[in-house]
Amino acid sequence: MDLTRREFLKTSAATATATAAGISVPAAVLAESGKGDADIQWDKGVCRFCGTGCGIMVGTKDGRVVATKGDPDAPVNKGLNCIKGYFNGKIQYGQDRLTQPLMRMKDGKFDKNGKFQAVSWETAFDEMTRQFKKTYNEMGPAGVAVFGSGQYTIPEGYTMAKLMKAGFRSNNIDPNARHCMASAVVAFIQTFGIDEPAGNYDDIEHTDTVITWGANMAECHPILWARVSDRRLTNDNVKLVNLTTISNQTSDIADSEIVFKPGSDLAIQNYLMREIIKRNAVDHDFVKKHCVFATGPYDIGYGMRPTDKYAFEAEKDIQVKELRVTLDKHEAIAQRRKEGEVVEQKNTKKPVKHWMISFEEFKRGVEPYTLDFVAEVSKGDANESMDQYKAKLKALADLYADPKRKVTSFWTMGFNQHYRGSWVNEQIYALHLLLGKQAMPGNGAFSLTGQPSACGTAREVGTFAHRLPADMVVFNPKHRARSEKLWKLPANTLNPKVGSHITKIMRDLEDGSIKWAWVQVNNPFQATANANHWIKAARKMDNFLVVSDPYPTVSAKVADLILPTAMIFEKWGLYGNAERRTQAWRQQVAPPGEAMADVWQHLEFAKRFTLKEVWGEKTVPGLKAKGFEDGKLPDVLAEAQKMGYSPEDTLYDVLFATKDNLKVKWPDTAVAKGHGNHIAEKLGDGWFPEKALFNEYREFGVNFQHDLAEFDVYYGDKVRGLKWPVIDGKETQWRFNEKYDPYCAKGSGFDFYGKALKALPSGDLDKVTKKDKTSLAHKAKIFFRPYAAPPEQPDKNYDLWFSTGRVLEHWHTGTMTRRVPELHRAVPTAQLFMNPDDAEKRGLKRNDLVWIESRRGKIKALLETQGRNRPAPGYTFAAFFDEGVFVNKVCLDVTCPMSKEEDFKKAAIKVYKA
Amino acid sequence: MNISGILVITSPEHVDDVSRQLRALPGIDIHFTDNNTGRIVITQEAETISEEVNGLKHIRTIPHVILAEMSSHYFEEDREVLDAIPAELDDEALKQDNVPAYLNE
Repeated sequence: MDLTRREFLKTSAATATATAAGISVPAAVLAESGKGDADIQWDKGVCRFCGTGCGIMVGTKDGRVVATKGDPDAPVNKGLNCIKGYFNGKIQYGQDRLTQPLMRMKDGKFDKNGKFQAVSWETAFDEMTRQFKKTYNEMGPAGVAVFGSGQYTIPEGYTMAKLMKAGFRSNNIDPNARHCMASAVVAFIQTFGIDEPAGNYDDIEHTDTVITWGANMAECHPILWARVSDRRLTNDNVKLVNLTTISNQTSDIADSEIVFKPGSDLAIQNYLMREIIKRNAVDHDFVKKHCVFATGPYDIGYGMRPTDKYAFEAEKDIQVKELRVTLDKHEAIAQRRKEGEVVEQKNTKKPVKHWMISFEEFKRGVEPYTLDFVAEVSKGDANESMDQYKAKLKALADLYADPKRKVTSFWTMGFNQHYRGSWVNEQIYALHLLLGKQAMPGNGAFSLTGQPSACGTAREVGTFAHRLPADMVVFNPKHRARSEKLWKLPANTLNPKVGSHITKIMRDLEDGSIKWAWVQVNNPFQATANANHWIKAARKMDNFLVVSDPYPTVSAKVADLILPTAMIFEKWGLYGNAERRTQAWRQQVAPPGEAMADVWQHLEFAKRFTLKEVWGEKTVPGLKAKGFEDGKLPDVLAEAQKMGYSPEDTLYDVLFATKDNLKVKWPDTAVAKGHGNHIAEKLGDGWFPEKALFNEYREFGVNFQHDLAEFDVYYGDKVRGLKWPVIDGKETQWRFNEKYDPYCAKGSGFDFYGKALKALPSGDLDKVTKKDKTSLAHKAKIFFRPYAAPPEQPDKNYDLWFSTGRVLEHWHTGTMTRRVPELHRAVPTAQLFMNPDDAEKRGLKRNDLVWIESRRGKIKALLETQGRNRPAPGYTFAAFFDEGVFVNKVCLDVTCPMSKEEDFKKAAIKVYKA
Repeated sequence: MNISGILVITSPEHVDDVSRQLRALPGIDIHFTDNNTGRIVITQEAETISEEVNGLKHIRTIPHVILAEMSSHYFEEDREVLDAIPAELDDEALKQDNVPAYLNE
């Protein structure tokens, strides 16, 4: 690069940054800066990584991405970018990018024990279809499954969900988002009757108090943290408190850091609610008008298999807790029972059931959670004095209870990946609702997300085993009927039985109840806890595993067929972020080699099935829903013919390239503005699949509390995403608040209008006493949930706590970030972070190679006793991005029984020199 | 070759001190400073991404730096063969009969 050009680029980079920071740039410099990138074509895009949803500008030149910058017009990040933003332009250019289908072959044909060989798309689809039909004809819709994603674009999630649910009549589609925010979803539905946050990121600029619970925002949501820091540093009244199990960077600018024991967040929140009541800080008007109190059973297990048939010998002492639990000292007090009492886990099948209780009963529930008790249960750092710790808890209660103070609580995986993740999420809403600090600017509990479209795709489109679009569910007959109407399906096409969640799909592969699976936009064989079981299931069982991937991930390597996939800026797409903001981008460059986007893969696969193969009578094991008592999905072909379909029509014709959709034409110069669309061009039948399918999907939410704008709106030059519900072209800032949300009833002030679970029986803390249901329409629920101990804790043999998570410069399993040249040298391998005293006790030194061993497996890692994560004695941490340090072999596959989300944060391990 | 625009925030009274320390780092140019808000806009030029990332981490360890985030990136000249794939991610793994050995350790 010549010197002048380099100077121009520097001026451009500096000017862009200064503009983002609100620093005025002299006009002469501004004019000069344009020269640096005059030959670069810029277009708006969305960051590929976390759930924040930063707007970025993508610069291309000669068919290649050559620059990215924070989008100064994006309200989320206002021109800033974090280090992951940097990778957006790099991730597609790794040397080992997959560019053609690869299949395990021997003697010229597919063989499960064969070697990977390049094959044509035609051959790949032929074998994939043959294997699908073999399993489908033998086992029906229950025998096939899809591992979906919170990184699917909206059209990708929509096409796959429709193909599985409407086409194959199977609900076995579940996203990796299950591992990320399913607990948050359960609490939204249980508390508000509708999913996703009331507030938005502007709460940061409106609030006086930011409390982070199990969220290392500084490292994992840096741009939001930049906004929090800015708020803190420009206003002396603003206070920050970081609650965590391991001291981390988020504490650096916090006023207080509270290090607590894993699982004791349940107790701390009950202490806070007890204090609020004692101090008479309850907003009684708000509570009376807008809330009811509720609780549910405690004996709900831990989401493990009900049998030890598949457990390793060492796992059996934990697995048995799925059946019965012996209460420890703290649980006994917290649950008003006796220490040592053995509690049979009778409600493992119905963990979400709940009933209304009185405020008096709620008070009785939180009464045992005194400061002394909770401090004893929760103090996490042995080196901290009890007095200091208690003072911090009390000061936290002061902040929440202060009527003049606005409070915003943020959390991510610390709450969500939790053996009682749904409870702990419900408690944070309970806390805010009691105080009347919810759904108003600066006041609210706000669930941050980890993936770019966990909200937009996984949740809103409903790529879960129990969901349909717009918060509808497969087990509700009205929801199925509405979906069948919108999808133009014969009545009773949709399957009412909830499918397998993502961990269960793994277990089903292991025990042979699923024999065909397709993995897309995620890496479940690296990202699912207790991985030794699942790798064995993939390779040793009689099954067929397809993995769509841009790179050879762990999942690709254990697959039978690998399909090369286009990446973010090689296709059109839309994502939905954590604040309900839907954002769009265009295809910027063509995918390499034969790689093709997932939507195309779905559509091509759909062409290989006729209605008569999928819409005949199908047996579904365990199906008992009303109208399906014979355990069968009915033959709907006759009905289909009445609707004008032929049994010979393909699923492509019936579900996707419909008469209406074919009218949505490609090329579409008004929206495309010169950008290509490799899917439309390859299909060659003249339609614009992403646009047609988005607008079709949109119909589910319109006038149904989930209104999205039309496709073209999101591509407008001035639009930087819109927060749904979008009504009369206007986005909604704070939901449930009459001032901002048109769905609220006039004169209500606040209206928790979500429709799910809004009629309940009533009872006391322990049981239902009145079975008749009372309507609680327009109200939110304040749940009492007790402290329960983690099922696995350090003991004599496995004597340390172990937790996993992300680091700043790598993302998830490293599929993308590890391809950025030389980046892996910055953080070459995942390290095990340990307290220096613990290391010394074991005769270990920094940089020693050590074994990390749990009941489930062992792995090697380098020991780190300094640096950015600073565990207290007894605690350890390692990130999971590195497949060479395969952390999930060690982690426990306990899930929250309500949300089925795995608890990656609480395993017991031992560490010794390798 | 990578060029990044980085926003550094410090408290107003430390702008001079932090600027002095920034200037001493390799590849750093200071472009704009706002003494009222403690904002400093710099560019960092580095040969490789790991140098770039380490440079950013270094900036964050300067006393009184409250925040340092990259905001814009140019890497158009970076077209060399990417030679630094971790060994276990190498294509070789795909040519073997079974799952790579390290997965079965």
